[in-house]
Amino acid sequence: MAILEVQNVSTGYGEVQVLWDVSLRLKPGQVTALVGANGAGKTTLLRTIVGLLKPWEGRIFFEGEDVTHLPPHRKAEMGLILVPEGRQLFTHMTVYENLEMGATPQRARAKFQENLELVFSMFPRLKERLNQKAGTMSGGERQMLAVARGLMGAPKVLMIDEMSLGLAPVLVLELYESLKQLREAGITVLLVEQNVHMALAVSDYTYVLAEGRVEMEGPSQEVARNPHVRTAYLGI
Amino acid sequence: MDMGFLFASLIDGLLLGFVFGVAAIGLTLIFGVMEVINLAHGPVIALGMFGLYFAVTLLGLHPYAGTLLTAVGGLFLGILIYAIAVHRVIGAPHLSSLLATYSINMMIIGIGTALLTTSPRNIEFSLGSMTLGTATIPVTRIVAALASLLAAVALYLFMQYTRWGKFIRAVTDNRDAAELVGIPSTKVLALSFGLGTMLAAFSGALIATLFPFTILEGGKYELKSFVISVLGGLGNPMGALIGGIIIGLIEGLVPVFLPTTWVLVVEFVLFVLILLIRPTGLFGGRAQ
Repeated sequence: MAILEVQNVSTGYGEVQVLWDVSLRLKPGQVTALVGANGAGKTTLLRTIVGLLKPWEGRIFFEGEDVTHLPPHRKAEMGLILVPEGRQLFTHMTVYENLEMGATPQRARAKFQENLELVFSMFPRLKERLNQKAGTMSGGERQMLAVARGLMGAPKVLMIDEMSLGLAPVLVLELYESLKQLREAGITVLLVEQNVHMALAVSDYTYVLAEGRVEMEGPSQEVARNPHVRTAYLGI
Repeated sequence: MDMGFLFASLIDGLLLGFVFGVAAIGLTLIFGVMEVINLAHGPVIALGMFGLYFAVTLLGLHPYAGTLLTAVGGLFLGILIYAIAVHRVIGAPHLSSLLATYSINMMIIGIGTALLTTSPRNIEFSLGSMTLGTATIPVTRIVAALASLLAAVALYLFMQYTRWGKFIRAVTDNRDAAELVGIPSTKVLALSFGLGTMLAAFSGALIATLFPFTILEGGKYELKSFVISVLGGLGNPMGALIGGIIIGLIEGLVPVFLPTTWVLVVEFVLFVLILLIRPTGLFGGRAQ
């Protein structure tokens, strides 16, 4: 039983089609990776799942319920949360206020203190910066805050878009370490990554997207051994 | 030069400046949240004047109780205007929202002129006056200034510390991100438009306790609101309060040296200078 299921979704911007007949299933408690070259449609797929972009065709199910046409805030309320590309923080608000806004869903408000402690244990640096305006933080700190804000929403499924983009390798490792804690907390994760090495290493299952279509899918270890993936994406 | 007259005139202008400021906060709040320039701002100010007029003459309310009632009416009127005319043009090119709010402007002016005529009304109300040095100040003006200051402080506290106030700031900052964390952004836009309209109606009601008015009276205050908003930084509510005080002081100062008709000239020269030299306003735009 998949917790999130994307069925034959096609969509695009204006006249330009970006996704063709994409299907995807997330198993509860697993980390699923979505990899592919720049422009393959990874971000578009996430925007469609969450409702920032309308699908032209196909349907999206969350916990068995048809959520294809729900706006993003209703999906967040249900526990389907996206940490968007480029962080998209509330830059004029403080770190604490960003976390507070993250806890907008009804379910999340009840667990505010609990989630706050989880977030601080994952990202101790945020605790020192609570009253700082989000817009004045460094790139790495902002990325941490973006993930932390997503976690404050008590997600059942957390989708993270390009966590490693523009970050120093040390920070990337640190962030992926914290991903393990998510798995332990029972959160299902969908990870979009350009860093294919990293994505294959930390995920259970992988989808490879190419030119708007699912080119390949399978357990991450198998995908990592696939000759085509090794030459096209891993450069081996 | 008569220093006594200068002092009296400055006090006069300063007090009015607070009221102008609150009207401008309404305009700038709406722009900050949804980038809509509300051309129905002036008529709503005029409706605030008539709201108070009818609250006093028909319902027999005390003018300040009537002012509060008018403000509440303004909130609901704003939400209604949002639902009818503004929601469908959110995110559309600016010309669409300008035309949509201008249509509301024309409807209010048209219906208002037909039903209320354009002969001046006034509200019979006086609290006497106070003497401060050389200045004799009607107490109603002091109350109007204090009520405006109080409204601005209340808005600030609302935005800073309440759940929905924070929602408004979050949507102002990044509407997509607000949706992603679960904030119902359409409701937030409607509420913001309601609050902006409420402040306009509130300031209109306060002005009606001071001066006679017609349904066309709002236009003049709408223009002032634009100058003030740009002065304080478009989208910056607290900048608008200070901008209002500056414009009030100019209105007090100019008639001491020049004929009163020069007030508008000075204000608009300032407006143009700000646009040329510091288009983000004195205190920065779209910030909290």
